[in-house]
Amino acid sequence: MKLRSIFFFITLSAFVLNAQDPNLVLKEVRLKLEKVADYSAQVHIHANIPMIKIDDVNAKVYYKQPNLFKVESKGIAILPKQGMGDLTSFLTNEKGYTCALNGTKMIGSVKTQVISVLPLTESTDLILVKLWIDPIKDVIMKAQVTSKTNGTLDIDYFYTDQVKYGLPSKLVFTIDVKKFKLPKSVAADLHQTKKKPTNTKEAQDGKITLEFSNYQVNKGLSTQFFKQKQ
Amino acid sequence: MLRKNTINEFVKILAKPRSYIGIAALTLLVSIILFAMKADGKMYISFVTASFEQTLSFNGHILNGNLIAFIVLQMLIVHIPLLVALVTGDLLSGEAAMGTLRMLLTKPITRTQVVLSKMIAAATYTFILVLWMGFLAVFVGRWVFGTGDLIVLNSDGLVILPDADILWRYGLAFFVAYLALLTIATLSICLSAFADNSIGPIVSTMAIIILFTIIGSLDVSVFDHIKPYLFTTHMASWRSFFNDPVPWSAIWESIWILIVHNILFIGLAIFQFNRKDITS
Repeated sequence: MKLRSIFFFITLSAFVLNAQDPNLVLKEVRLKLEKVADYSAQVHIHANIPMIKIDDVNAKVYYKQPNLFKVESKGIAILPKQGMGDLTSFLTNEKGYTCALNGTKMIGSVKTQVISVLPLTESTDLILVKLWIDPIKDVIMKAQVTSKTNGTLDIDYFYTDQVKYGLPSKLVFTIDVKKFKLPKSVAADLHQTKKKPTNTKEAQDGKITLEFSNYQVNKGLSTQFFKQKQ
Repeated sequence: MLRKNTINEFVKILAKPRSYIGIAALTLLVSIILFAMKADGKMYISFVTASFEQTLSFNGHILNGNLIAFIVLQMLIVHIPLLVALVTGDLLSGEAAMGTLRMLLTKPITRTQVVLSKMIAAATYTFILVLWMGFLAVFVGRWVFGTGDLIVLNSDGLVILPDADILWRYGLAFFVAYLALLTIATLSICLSAFADNSIGPIVSTMAIIILFTIIGSLDVSVFDHIKPYLFTTHMASWRSFFNDPVPWSAIWESIWILIVHNILFIGLAIFQFNRKDITS
């Protein structure tokens, strides 16, 4: 009987330990993100978005906890409205959301924990954030952000040397461009005589790839700096 | 003799107060646009990028001199034909109305040379008008707003052109815009050859532009075969230089059609003026 109880206890413990608490997984990620009080980095932006034609741009991005974000660029740089500093600031506010584990999924050779994060306040634009987390390195491998205004945005994360801070070396944003509409009064080409064939299978997704380099982490960026105009 | 007469014709244009209306109107209009953009240019930008800005953020110096120059060109190219026709529309008919045509033709110069000298003088005036607009739009615009990448909205979507890749586009765009306005000048002189009063050719020129523009903008299949041959269809070809890649074949097509129109109008004006009865 005693032996049976010990066996039962060991089995139960193993089960409990294996089925990780999503809060604990997320906490580890959050703790890693919180190590970064501020950062700056060079970023190479490649945008491949239907209806927008733009060359690659080099810019510099700055971030400071909790939610300050700034882009400096000589040319016009297009970035996704969500998924940059705002996602970090959302995740670092642990009282602002609740989460649930949705199983595991392989991303490449990494077995990730899939966690759904739901904001607790209705005032926020976010509806649902789904995260694929590498529980060994405690970093986000993929995120899916669904918001009221922007629809769904997918973000793929790639890491190299700044993995200790949870800072990616590359981000690939997949955005939904179905909502994009041209203002007719401006876009209508008054002198256009040839009608363009309408392609029903026209690409509906756009991709923005950000490649980060020269990270400067925790150098003490001032709040005032983010208020200055470029 | 043609050269001498051309200089005389140009001096006549300069002597008319109405010739300065165009320059003054351009200066005033560009100043108003610059002021409006300085005061509330961000509204204009958000109107252009509104549907994209829900998902994307546009960073950088968007409201710059290059964009202002584009806005100026886009707004004014519609109205400049009036300023051109105002001066060139009575070059021949004005002489008939004032009774100076007979005196002009007593000179040892052929009627064809008279028409050509007036055409060259009109072309020079139009060139000055376009050059002045280019100076105000591009150089003053860049001086007031600085430089930067150009964001252009066309029927395919947004095109963002790097700053270093813009000036040559403006140079060629102004050349095509000049060719379009030259067509207006030759049209008005052509109509002027048929008339004996000053106002008729000016109003007729504007009426033709309005009529052709409306036909060009009507999305009715009956006009589909006519539209490519209307000169008004090609008056906005300057915009094509701000596409990426530049549709060279379409631009060349427009240039040829405008040149053919110019030759046609000049030829018709010469033909009519040579037949014109100036004795009665």
